Amino acid sequence: MGCHKPRDTIIDPDRYARSVHASLDCNTCHADGFATFPHQAKRADAPECMTCHAGVDTPPYDFVHIQQGVQASIHAQMAGGEFACTNCHSPHYFVPATRMSDTPSAVRIANEPCLHCHAEGDASGGAGQPSVAKLATQHQWLPHWQLHLLNAPCIACHTTGDQRADAANPKLEAQRTLHVVLPKEQALRDCVGCHSKNSVLVSKLYAYLSLKEQTERGWLNAVLFNNAYLVGATRNRWLDWATVALTAATVGGVAIHAAGRWLGARLRRKS
Amino acid sequence: MSRDYGTYPVWLRCWHWGNALLFVAQLVTGLSLHYATPGGPHAGFRAAMLVHNTAGILLTAFYGWFLFGNVRYGNGRFYLLAPGDLTRGLLLQARYYLFGIFRGDPHPFPHNAERKFNPMQKMSYLVVMGLLFPPLIVSGWALFFPARLPASVFGIPGVAICALAHTYLGFCLSLFMLTHMYLATTGDTVGELFRVMLVGASHSHEATQATPPTAEVRPTS
Repeated sequence: MGCHKPRDTIIDPDRYARSVHASLDCNTCHADGFATFPHQAKRADAPECMTCHAGVDTPPYDFVHIQQGVQASIHAQMAGGEFACTNCHSPHYFVPATRMSDTPSAVRIANEPCLHCHAEGDASGGAGQPSVAKLATQHQWLPHWQLHLLNAPCIACHTTGDQRADAANPKLEAQRTLHVVLPKEQALRDCVGCHSKNSVLVSKLYAYLSLKEQTERGWLNAVLFNNAYLVGATRNRWLDWATVALTAATVGGVAIHAAGRWLGARLRRKS
Repeated sequence: MSRDYGTYPVWLRCWHWGNALLFVAQLVTGLSLHYATPGGPHAGFRAAMLVHNTAGILLTAFYGWFLFGNVRYGNGRFYLLAPGDLTRGLLLQARYYLFGIFRGDPHPFPHNAERKFNPMQKMSYLVVMGLLFPPLIVSGWALFFPARLPASVFGIPGVAICALAHTYLGFCLSLFMLTHMYLATTGDTVGELFRVMLVGASHSHEATQATPPTAEVRPTS
């Protein structure tokens, strides 16, 4: 890094230090062809991710399932064997959701690879903001479409929600489905998919964050509450129950009062 | 005998029923948005949102109509609290609802051309239209512009504050509507007050009751 740091031409050392691979030396992956300068190695000589990760079948990751998901995705179907993990997940900067402390940065990091290709050349976002203007045509059917694109992970709508019924471990199965990127025609267009008690946002990108926070102070989907408010998804079970109890008490009170009036009138008629 | 009260002019009755219809629409669509469930009608969420937004804009206009009508046509004077309304007046009215109504006692504050509301009505209408409705409208309009709301107020997103205020103010007003509908059955007959609000005329209490109620509120010293 001593050579590359002065101009940051290739790798941002600060971001690398925060990435999941920060503990690895450069030559763990870039082993051969770097003894002399100019380096003899090419990017294509870098090892495949599955060289290290194949067979790693211990929670929280199951790369076998993940690979199956990628192969079923529209990306792999269109690019064939050319499509690699690194097309979306930078080996130098990737931060898994388990390490993210807040949802805005989780969304930004998750959407970065999508926008890198699908909003290529779009500079509408300004400093530090993702650029989404190029995606307006496809997403303008959403109310406040910019807010949706800036605050929701693309994969919430653009990956399959279908889990295999025979999946032994639903959490590992979710890792597969998260990688099955759908053709755009099959993207989720049902608002209730996110705007409901069982929001797909919580079962997709926020799966790990939400495990920590989903029951915090009675808030359903508490992790969303830390980021924004979603009608239908941001609910508090205690407040919901309080409204039901108060409504029942009001209806009950009215019924008792009405019964008392009816009985009183009847008694007066008799006397 | 029937006569026109003169206190339920056409503009007021149209406002009342229009407001009621719009509020029911808000209640139904608001509940369907809050308790949205996968598997419902595909367009249900979007339709509920469009109806909720449209009815919200109309309700704002109706609120303006209510304020204008009360000032322009003098209806606002019926809401003014008289001395003693909040003390002895509330006590008498509460005692009537808790005991007298079951015995068939006369209304302590019968309505007439000069006194349209009892003290409890005045207070509840002032709270509803003066304290609860304005923030409900403001929070609803704020949610039309979520990007302009502050990202965080004391650690809570501005959108969440507006949405929570909007939801639970709406809930409080729904409970008001429920009790309002029930208390509307406490006229001389169950349907009398509904008829008054529909056609603007009714049998007067004075004409139908053997002993005219004469409870008067005196200022407490």
